[in-house]
Amino acid sequence: MRILTQALSCILTIQNLVIKFSLRGRVLTAIRNISLDLYKGESMAIVGESGSGKSVLMKSIMGLLDKNGYIDQGQIMYNNWDLTQFNTEREWLAIRGKEVAMVTQDPMTSLNPLKTIGKQIEECVILHQSLKGKAAYIETLKLLKDVGIHDVEKRFRQYPHEFSGGMRQRIVIAIALACKPKILICDEPTTALDVTIQAQILQLLKHLQQKYELTTVYITHDLGVVAKVADRIAVMYAGDIIEIGKTHEIFFNAKHPYTWALISSLPQLGSKGEQLYSIKGTPPNLFQDIKGDAFAPRNPYALKIDFVERPPFFQVSDTHYARTWLLDPLAPKVQPPEALQSFFEEGRRCAHES
Amino acid sequence: MGMYSEEINNISHRSREALFEFAVTDERQAEETAYSNYSYWRSTWKSFLKNRIAIFLLVGVLMIVTFTILQPYLPAQKSPTEIYLDEQTGLQARNIAPNTEFWFGTNSIGQDLWSRIWAGTRTSLLIGCVVAIVEAIIGITIGTLWGFSRKLELPITQLYNIVDNIPTTIVLILMSYILRPSVSTIIIAMCITGWVEMARFIRNQIVILRDREYNLASKCLGTPDYRIILKNLLPYLISVIMLRMSLAIPFAIGAEVFLTYIGLGLPISEPSLGNLINEGRVLMMSPELRYQLIFPSIVLSVITIAFYIIGNSFADAADPKNHV
Amino acid sequence: MSHKEILVEVKNLKIAFGKGKHKFMAINDVSFTIFKGEIFGLVGESGSGKTTIGRAMMRINDVTEGQIIYRGRNIHGKISKSWDREITQKIQMIFQDPMASLNERAKVDYIISEGLLNTKNYNNDADRQQRVRAALLNVGLLPDFSSRFPHEFSGGQRQRIGIARAFVMEPEFIIADEPISALDVSIRAQVLNLLANLQQQKNLTYLFIAHDLSVVRFITDRTAVIYKGRIVELAGTERLFSNPIHPYTRALLSAVPEPNPYKERNKIVEIYDPAQHCYDRNPPTFKEVEEGHFVLANEQEMAKYQASLQMEVHK
Repeated sequence: MRILTQALSCILTIQNLVIKFSLRGRVLTAIRNISLDLYKGESMAIVGESGSGKSVLMKSIMGLLDKNGYIDQGQIMYNNWDLTQFNTEREWLAIRGKEVAMVTQDPMTSLNPLKTIGKQIEECVILHQSLKGKAAYIETLKLLKDVGIHDVEKRFRQYPHEFSGGMRQRIVIAIALACKPKILICDEPTTALDVTIQAQILQLLKHLQQKYELTTVYITHDLGVVAKVADRIAVMYAGDIIEIGKTHEIFFNAKHPYTWALISSLPQLGSKGEQLYSIKGTPPNLFQDIKGDAFAPRNPYALKIDFVERPPFFQVSDTHYARTWLLDPLAPKVQPPEALQSFFEEGRRCAHES
Repeated sequence: MGMYSEEINNISHRSREALFEFAVTDERQAEETAYSNYSYWRSTWKSFLKNRIAIFLLVGVLMIVTFTILQPYLPAQKSPTEIYLDEQTGLQARNIAPNTEFWFGTNSIGQDLWSRIWAGTRTSLLIGCVVAIVEAIIGITIGTLWGFSRKLELPITQLYNIVDNIPTTIVLILMSYILRPSVSTIIIAMCITGWVEMARFIRNQIVILRDREYNLASKCLGTPDYRIILKNLLPYLISVIMLRMSLAIPFAIGAEVFLTYIGLGLPISEPSLGNLINEGRVLMMSPELRYQLIFPSIVLSVITIAFYIIGNSFADAADPKNHV
Repeated sequence: MSHKEILVEVKNLKIAFGKGKHKFMAINDVSFTIFKGEIFGLVGESGSGKTTIGRAMMRINDVTEGQIIYRGRNIHGKISKSWDREITQKIQMIFQDPMASLNERAKVDYIISEGLLNTKNYNNDADRQQRVRAALLNVGLLPDFSSRFPHEFSGGQRQRIGIARAFVMEPEFIIADEPISALDVSIRAQVLNLLANLQQQKNLTYLFIAHDLSVVRFITDRTAVIYKGRIVELAGTERLFSNPIHPYTRALLSAVPEPNPYKERNKIVEIYDPAQHCYDRNPPTFKEVEEGHFVLANEQEMAKYQASLQMEVHK
């Protein structure tokens, strides 16, 4: 695993971001004050369930929020631009594609069914790399080879429906790369794919990240995917980042009860015949102001102060922070659930061996 | 450490420690979900209300309809069919321009246009509404069977092909020759040809809905077909049915006008918008008599435009994607 | 929990879609047995045919050839009305997508009672309401949810309503078609626990269809792996995971991402190439290679597998 030092430069910084939506006459706070640093060349994973706000966060970086969404406060600093101040499509065109590109979940809806895939990639090449004619064609073929497609000349002339799901996702990745972006956002890129294809696509993304020196952001709910590709993990719940750290820190030294719950509820940690660890209840209503910790009503380790005041980030290590009152010196000492303890043990063993 | 809020600042250190005790989690509270107060019909109504023009026209149409019903009972109303004689000459009061006695004037044989127009509107609206309702009933029944039953699909498709391809005009002409021209003849004739559109539309919607997972689930539970249609499929179609009915009304009224033009409409003794427009048409050239065409045309236009706009606004409002 | 009584038997099942030139064999000669009281897992990727088998058992899809036998009687093709009614009550299905499997325009009360209303399995209206209330409590929902509409609930709660709908019928055999795939990660554990509990409480039999192998490993007793309409391997779950024989099973298992960054990054993923089998001259059959462990193989492959098993025993 690459070691990230403080010397790595910050490519994107989100500060105190609050995003709201007006829905059916009421206001829903989707992102409740998030600050996040993205370092150049790293692979960051944003883990959360539906309703946690992970997609909204990424869409706001590209200016793709729905019409009824708006940034209430905060800044997104990229390259000395404040992306929250962008109002016109023109301003966003300088960012989208060129600086930040996105790969989404369903490749069928990202591709134009009426155009050959070669033309779709070539469009981007011509637009963003200022190449024309033959040069653009050669560049397109190179991209197709890079994403692992064979018989590129024949495939260039084919239509999206002639490809399988995994191949289509590769084409979407090729289009994203055609723009030569600095940041690549992958929003659940493999959720709709079979597990054998998923492994291949993730391998491909890792390889491309190194080759093109990209900074990648993965949005997913699948911890297995995260284990494979991420350097750092940010865990989101109800519009807030509740824990952030390096991959092995989050997996084997998590501090927030929600992270514990996420990992423990994996079937791999369950024993046959016994109950899987599960969290009671459902995520909170984001239409209302949440007092204290959003996870408190479902948290078996909740303290009284979790219902009163929102916990700040407590430092666990240089790179690992968690938003939980359990890390406060005044809090009682709590052990993570049993199943998790053996998992942590195994992790420490693996760390020693590697 | 984080920022302390006001209330906590005022609490002593000892009390702060007390906050770091475990809280009792209420499982019930965890289960109480975000109760979304979203009701489909209420949202539709709210969306519809946002469209000022549609509301204005809806009120207008309701006023017109109410007025046509009440008009005969108002004081000082004349009979629509009686031929009035000019008091001075004793001859028929023909082609009198609108004045204080005859508010809309009289026609070429001395009948009061004001009461004729309202009587005609009554008749036309009656035709329009009855046709829309009957078409809907026949169309929904046949369309549902067509879309849902795989056995009946082929025979009904053939029936549709045949009926759809016979020119409507010919059927209407035939009906008018076979039966005496009257309000019921026109209604029957229009219903015989009009159900096909509604049937095909309902059939398309049913074909889309019938293979959805919740219908499979109902089948697995042993629900008989009629209940699947009534409780699973038709409730989704109510808004589109209402839309089509609201557009069918002006269409039927317009069809009646058309039939009158080609001589297959109602007898002249029964006033209808078609008859009135037809009578007024021949007088279009002379400026003093033009009022006989203008008044019924305005009424017809207002009703037609109003229904179309109301129908389309309702369709937009009923689309869940437009619910914010 | 006696496993030996046979509840469901599938014999040489073939299901084809389309006719003539466009004929597509979704299920191509599948045979297996499900014992009473066990949880039988059926694993495959998209297009493998696993959902088709489940639907054929529910009599939603037609069977082209072969038999599906429940408690010794056929349940495929034409059957008598009384037997149809009986299996409607005894065999129930849980669907994958909680957003699509409930009638949005009906109250939860009607949704859950729908089966009861069909089979008239209750005494009077008060009894019916009591059953609905009990069903809701059984799946961990509050009884006053019965007057609400589905859109007011989250995905996990909707799936639980779907489960309540199936269980209120007091079935014997449940076909769970990817019941947790469409749910959030933390909700999956809740629903899995619920399904496991209900199975134990009422001694039910499940056919658990899934594509997520880690879920299958947790909950099932025996598992069959299906690839392009044929079952390639069938064994006790633990045996299948610890000692997979067929190359497709091995590829599938190695592709499953493991939530351990160290292991995951050093893992080598096996890829399955269907061309490695030469089946033109020697077509494969579904044979037992060790007790309770079946593999789809022709004679040469079978000899190879048995040899490697012997080596493992001697280690």
